[in-house]
Amino acid sequence: MSEVPEQKKGSDPTLKPIFPPWFDRVVKLAGLVAGIGVVYLVVLAVYAGSPETINVGYEPAQPIEYSHRLHVGELGMDCRYCHNTVETAAMAAIPPTQTCMNCHSQIRKESELLIDLQESYTSGKPIPWVRVHDLPDYVYFNHSAHVARGVGCVSCHGRVDQMDVVRQVEPLSMSWCLDCHRNPDEHLRPIDQVTEMDWVPEEIPETLHARLREEYDINPSTSCSTCHR
Amino acid sequence: MSTIAMDSSSSDRGADNTIEAPGERAPLVLGKHDYGTVTDTICGIAEKAEVPKAWKIAFVASGMAMAVLFAMIGYLFLEGVGVWGVNKPAGWGFAIVNFVFWVGIGHAGTLISAILFLFRQKWRTSINRFAEAMTIFAVMCAGILPAIHVGSVWVIYWVFPYPNQMAMWPNFRSPLLWDVFAVSTYATVSMLFWYMGMIPDLASLRDRAKGRIQRIAYGLASLGWRGSQRHWHRYEVAYMLLAALAAPLVLSVHSVVSFDFAVSQLPGWHTTIFPPYFVVGAVFSGFAMVLMLLLPVRNWFGMKDFITAKHLDNIAKVILVTGSIVGYAYSIELFIAWYSGNHYEVFAFVNRALGPYAFAYWIMVSCNVLAPQLLWSKKIRSNLKALFMIAVLVNVGMWFERYVIVITSLSRDFLPSSWGTYSPTWVDILTLVGSFGLFLHLFLLFVRYMPMMAMAEVKAVMHDTGLVQPKPANAEKAEIATAGVENPAGALLEFTDPDAMREAAGKVRDAGYENWDAYSPFPVHGLDRKMGIKRTKLPFVVFVGGATGLLAGTLLQYATNAVDYPFVTSGKPLSSIPAWIPVSFELTVLLAAFGAFLGMLAMNGLPRFWHPTFTSKRFARVTNDRFFIGINADDPKFDKKQTVTFLAGLGGTHVELLEGE
Repeated sequence: MSEVPEQKKGSDPTLKPIFPPWFDRVVKLAGLVAGIGVVYLVVLAVYAGSPETINVGYEPAQPIEYSHRLHVGELGMDCRYCHNTVETAAMAAIPPTQTCMNCHSQIRKESELLIDLQESYTSGKPIPWVRVHDLPDYVYFNHSAHVARGVGCVSCHGRVDQMDVVRQVEPLSMSWCLDCHRNPDEHLRPIDQVTEMDWVPEEIPETLHARLREEYDINPSTSCSTCHR
Repeated sequence: MSTIAMDSSSSDRGADNTIEAPGERAPLVLGKHDYGTVTDTICGIAEKAEVPKAWKIAFVASGMAMAVLFAMIGYLFLEGVGVWGVNKPAGWGFAIVNFVFWVGIGHAGTLISAILFLFRQKWRTSINRFAEAMTIFAVMCAGILPAIHVGSVWVIYWVFPYPNQMAMWPNFRSPLLWDVFAVSTYATVSMLFWYMGMIPDLASLRDRAKGRIQRIAYGLASLGWRGSQRHWHRYEVAYMLLAALAAPLVLSVHSVVSFDFAVSQLPGWHTTIFPPYFVVGAVFSGFAMVLMLLLPVRNWFGMKDFITAKHLDNIAKVILVTGSIVGYAYSIELFIAWYSGNHYEVFAFVNRALGPYAFAYWIMVSCNVLAPQLLWSKKIRSNLKALFMIAVLVNVGMWFERYVIVITSLSRDFLPSSWGTYSPTWVDILTLVGSFGLFLHLFLLFVRYMPMMAMAEVKAVMHDTGLVQPKPANAEKAEIATAGVENPAGALLEFTDPDAMREAAGKVRDAGYENWDAYSPFPVHGLDRKMGIKRTKLPFVVFVGGATGLLAGTLLQYATNAVDYPFVTSGKPLSSIPAWIPVSFELTVLLAAFGAFLGMLAMNGLPRFWHPTFTSKRFARVTNDRFFIGINADDPKFDKKQTVTFLAGLGGTHVELLEGE
């Protein structure tokens, strides 16, 4: 082997360098843009994906323009008049048309806003209310366990007495549930005050909470099977 | 020193280089190869328009099998895991069997590329690239199976620790989570190792490519590699560090996979022998797979000069040794079951050998323990058909080993009332077949379009072992071709021999030049000292990376499992340092590997797609068989005339001036 054999296939001598000098600057710029893009995507995923962003403020239009502000805030009706199972059952009942008609067979019978209500009453077809607070199917939430142990409606549903159209005010995320299960104190009140929208404690909060925890045996579980069964 | 390949004592052995005379290593490259013919042979595979018919048939067949895999995965997603055979009591079926099988296959690649590298086993250079590719494709197959077996695959990202609205963190005390970290770290580090090793060879392909698409594709993939000696210096350090990181990593991965079983309390699983037994089994099956793929590829692409009888013989010996260790593990398992005096343990093993899955047990024993024993015979070791058959048998046996472990223990546990049977459905079987399709399809693409042998490493071995005869330095003045360049970016001197370049490099340094470099297709050992290159600080970067990984990993586990989400599982303490070791270790390796790879690139100023040397027409052979010394124009001593005259007298063959930007 005296001489290196000529290369059988070499680069074509007429070819110029593959990339021009400015290409490296483009690559650096592209790297910078990609870096910023990744940061942007992470921020986007964190903020845009969180239940605070996605779920809070959900305010669907209802088939009938029923106003909680009017009925609860002005007229002072209790939550349990319509949602009557809330203290004893897992689900807080959505009232049937008949509940509305208890009053509206007498009051504002002629109102245009109530045509659909009358219609539902005569035909027997229920009003398709749109559910606002909807937990995933794998979560077993029980209203009675909370309402009958001193957790106020307002803790989860907000000031319904000020809403014309009901709006979701809390994220209803798992960490939000856990926040309260770990530190329930500030959401406790005497059982007879659970439906009061604007209740403020008369005692020093710390002593009240300690007393209520003792009295109602509040000891929330945070194990998986508490909610996922 | 004369070339061993041309020695009369070697050539009369013909192609059999398995017998080594005392005091003399058998050549690892046969035939009359020099640097250029190595490039021609290996790059030729990717450049040829024609491929062997067998490759085409295998490509189409594996492609169809791969399509079947994707169809089965789609069907699984639509219908749920009920389409598989898993049920009470065998909740783990084919998915885990296949997972362990494929992860095991991957191990041979890392063993060859990392552990044999650390032990300076030079024969690895012909097969390491190939085996590393096999590792990556096997780990891809392995990764798919546990990911799809979780049921709600769309939330698979829950296994990673990230702040989330559920206020929950994964349980770092669970071996299943260790597995997530071990396998994903393994996949990432293997990729880095594979890709980093390939950069110089991709540059070879780039410099020979003619088509526009090939030039751009290989050009981008090779990151502007130009064979600079200053780059090679850091590259070699980074490569060695990656090997040193990958070696314990590969041992950890299958140990962690074995923990998936061993940490539970099931009879037949809960044994301390599992980690070494799994690792050795993985190497065993991996080497068998290497052999199974190597034999046809060697044939198709005419690689007999590089993948010699010696290589096959070595692989066969590794299979024999690991097969015997696996046999030892099987017998020790039986002994310990008896010696433990534990009824359930004894039953588990009697049930394996004599129960409803006895067929699987005896396939396992005969394929894994008995078949490789044939390799004691030199005749069988040098019979390619027999080798191929044994490799196939070993892979069948090792798949059944995982089947035996998973199924027998699960289907009959402590309570006879909860016993059941397991049988795969057609979806299970087609998924297994399809995973082979994916593996082979990617593999065939790789051997066709990528540099399937580490050319640079083979050339370095040829140089270091004297397989290529050194050419004496050019006594005449070099040919000078400097016309037409008014404002040069530098001057370039070409050599045909690395040793001549090394001598010349010393003279350039002695002449007081500072801003200059030597370029070569492979690292020329001893050259960096001649050039006065200081040892790189890269190991420090790697150390910082590793320390960050260790610290971050440990803090992450402490903060999540002991502080933010204190949740007691299986009676383990919240702050459980032994249980944190696997994840801390994997993150240490991961960040250290990033440090090695990214640190090497950053310190080398890569990617850099344009460089003055690329304007030289002759420089394209720097990734092939030519060697260059280049002095940059911004060197304080650079003078157009003087420097060219100086370079011309250094024993090279050709001097030219480089055009600027």
